[in-house]
Amino acid sequence: MNHEEICAKIKDMLVENLRIPADELENDSELFGDDIGLDSIDSIEIIAGIDSLFGVQMTGAAREHFQTIETLAKYVESHKGE
Amino acid sequence: MSKRVVVTGLGLICALGENVDQCWNAVTNGVTGIREVKTVNAEGCYVNLGAEVDTPNEKLSNEDYDRSSLLCIKAAGEALKDSGYEVTENNSDRIGVIIGNCVGGAVSIDKYYTAHKNGGGKNTDVLKMPAAALANNVAFHFGLNGTTANIVNACAAGTISLGYAADLIRAGKADAFVAGGSDSFSSLAFAGFHALHALDANPCSPFNRSSGITLGEGAGILIVESYEHAKARGAKIYCEILGNGVSSDAHHITAPRPDGQGQMLAISRAVENSGLTANDIDYINAHGTGTAKNDEAEFLSLHTLFDNNDHLSVSSTKSMTGHCLGAAGSIEAVFTVKSVCENVVPPTIGYTEENLETLKEKAGNIDFVPNTKREKEVNYAASNSFAFGGNNASIVFAKKPHDIPDRTNNDKIYVTGIGELIAKPRVEITSDDYKEYGIKMAFYRKLDRFSQLQLLSGMKALKDADITISEDNETDIGIVVGTADGPLTEVYNFQKTVCENGTASGSAFAFPNTVYNAAGGYFSIFAGIKGYNVTDANSIQAGLQSLCYAADVIHNGDENIMIATGTDENTDVTEYLYDTLGVLQGKLGEGSVSLVLEGEKSAAARGAKKYAELAGWASAHKSVEFGKIKGSESALKKAIEDACKSAGISVKDIEAVCGFANGISEVDELEKQVYSELFGDIPVITVKNDVGEARAAASAEQAARAAQLIADGKYNYVLAAAFGVGGQYSAVVLKKAD
Repeated sequence: MNHEEICAKIKDMLVENLRIPADELENDSELFGDDIGLDSIDSIEIIAGIDSLFGVQMTGAAREHFQTIETLAKYVESHKGE
Repeated sequence: MSKRVVVTGLGLICALGENVDQCWNAVTNGVTGIREVKTVNAEGCYVNLGAEVDTPNEKLSNEDYDRSSLLCIKAAGEALKDSGYEVTENNSDRIGVIIGNCVGGAVSIDKYYTAHKNGGGKNTDVLKMPAAALANNVAFHFGLNGTTANIVNACAAGTISLGYAADLIRAGKADAFVAGGSDSFSSLAFAGFHALHALDANPCSPFNRSSGITLGEGAGILIVESYEHAKARGAKIYCEILGNGVSSDAHHITAPRPDGQGQMLAISRAVENSGLTANDIDYINAHGTGTAKNDEAEFLSLHTLFDNNDHLSVSSTKSMTGHCLGAAGSIEAVFTVKSVCENVVPPTIGYTEENLETLKEKAGNIDFVPNTKREKEVNYAASNSFAFGGNNASIVFAKKPHDIPDRTNNDKIYVTGIGELIAKPRVEITSDDYKEYGIKMAFYRKLDRFSQLQLLSGMKALKDADITISEDNETDIGIVVGTADGPLTEVYNFQKTVCENGTASGSAFAFPNTVYNAAGGYFSIFAGIKGYNVTDANSIQAGLQSLCYAADVIHNGDENIMIATGTDENTDVTEYLYDTLGVLQGKLGEGSVSLVLEGEKSAAARGAKKYAELAGWASAHKSVEFGKIKGSESALKKAIEDACKSAGISVKDIEAVCGFANGISEVDELEKQVYSELFGDIPVITVKNDVGEARAAASAEQAARAAQLIADGKYNYVLAAAFGVGGQYSAVVLKKAD
């Protein structure tokens, strides 16, 4: 799976599980910023989603990895298969 | 009229026992009911503990109801027997049923889904799903024909239901209520709180380790009765019910306000409405769930309000019963009543020697009754319940009679705003609708359809009424949401995921929306409304009953302004479930209709426009099986007659009716027959021709139409009446405003 595919899967998961409108979500959109405004409950959902999509554990991962679809994808790439 | 309301019967079932004596004995001796979970598959979860009732459904009652109803019938049977209340044909319409509940028929949805997947299950099992069945099943079982309500405010439901029962009795609307709460142990709640990481891996330890809750199940029932009535029949009296208080945090859908502001408002209201001060209270049965956020906020609230009280004991019996959600407040009310009667305070268990040292530092002046019961004189005791959606409630019990301030507000009540969002088969919602009220995507994306409809109609009504919420009025405004089916789509989908992928797969994002009061919660959060906040799940008429409830709250002197709403969604799941039942196919609508009700002084002070006066309102019930209405026409008649009587007019003064016909012949015929008996020939506006059977939204829309007809100068008096399956009716009289 290449970077773009991982980003696309994460985006679908965010749209599906967190009801973020697809047309307002880019790979570099700030997920926890004012517009999309994710919170701690949503981060639990992201952790569960990443785990079920890629088998990657993000519990306890630093905040910076949750910033955008891009940073999430990078985390997945560097931890996949661990 | 005497304002004294007393408790004359108690009934209880929870993990500690099958009756009041067993439970009281256990709870005062620090025995825990928390054990390994049996009825939910906790595979893959970090916790496997719960406080379940061992008794299986078959032993609770021989009826084919959801477990919440069966637990409730068991406790109600004990309470009624204990009270010696003889229900006869002549008095059955003066004793009603008000039950608090959180998860509704979640256990039945789980069973239904699992059975259907395997090719089994009965279609009629769909009737076990909505919380609305609960009070009706209890009323039907015992032949009670007073009005009913299902208070579905999550973990505060069991306390709000008792306060509402006492308020209605004080208003002369009933002699007595079977009141309390019931909830069953469900994979819904277990998976949901697990997903939120809100379950403690060990037995919960409120005001101590505070590392999460342990779920429980059960039912607590009190016979709440007017003193005059109890005296006349020579009843044994346990204690007095004094004031109660309800408030909203307007903060967060699951977390309490860290500053405790909403909790303190509810407690202060309860104490003040009792004619007492904080220094009079001897015991508080705390909400004390054991989550860090609750316990910290409650510590702060208790210290702020009670630090000058040198004789206050506080305990959380959840350390033994687990958190029984919609039943919690009522189970704890039974313990609080026993405490007042027996001068014994049950402990909070779970403290080690080391914990006791830490507690000393945190407790200050307050006695947290660690590990062992306290024997002391208990004259005044309160019970606190705080819920998802930011709903807070508190109620005060007293050993001896105590004069409570008469706050009755006899002002006329006007409809000063209307917000309609209703269509057949579905309402179209776009991002522009949210933009109109400045609702950001970060907020609205969290909402399920039920909450979306509620929020938009509520905001629309506030705008129409030209009300801006500010620090000056935020606690003078309240909300009543009426619904038939609530967020059933969200509950069904959540349950489906859990059935298919296991308890550990529950969604933390979806779970908060599965509680019925989430919609009213989101509305209060966005609008900043901090007053009374309640959701009543009581079939189709709930949208009209919400007006009756809201008017009672204003009349009772609790708020100046109330937003009364009826909300029901129509989704693929809704259509599937009604198809399965074989009713209303192709007839469903959906929506949310909010009416702003406002007392005369408040309306005059801000020069509000008035659509109409809400001159009279009433609800009535004639128990028939849930899902049916045949045989209940006397209750429709009674609701209409009582509404006219409360408006000070004769039935003959009504010039037109906004009716409830929905195209089902049984419903339409019953309505026609009663109108022709009462009114002869009268214009009937069939609202559902336009909006479909939008259930509670449609019944609220009937009132909105009636108000608009009057505002347009077409009539002076218009009646709106609505039915609920199981024989519950509400009626309101709208009158030309002065």
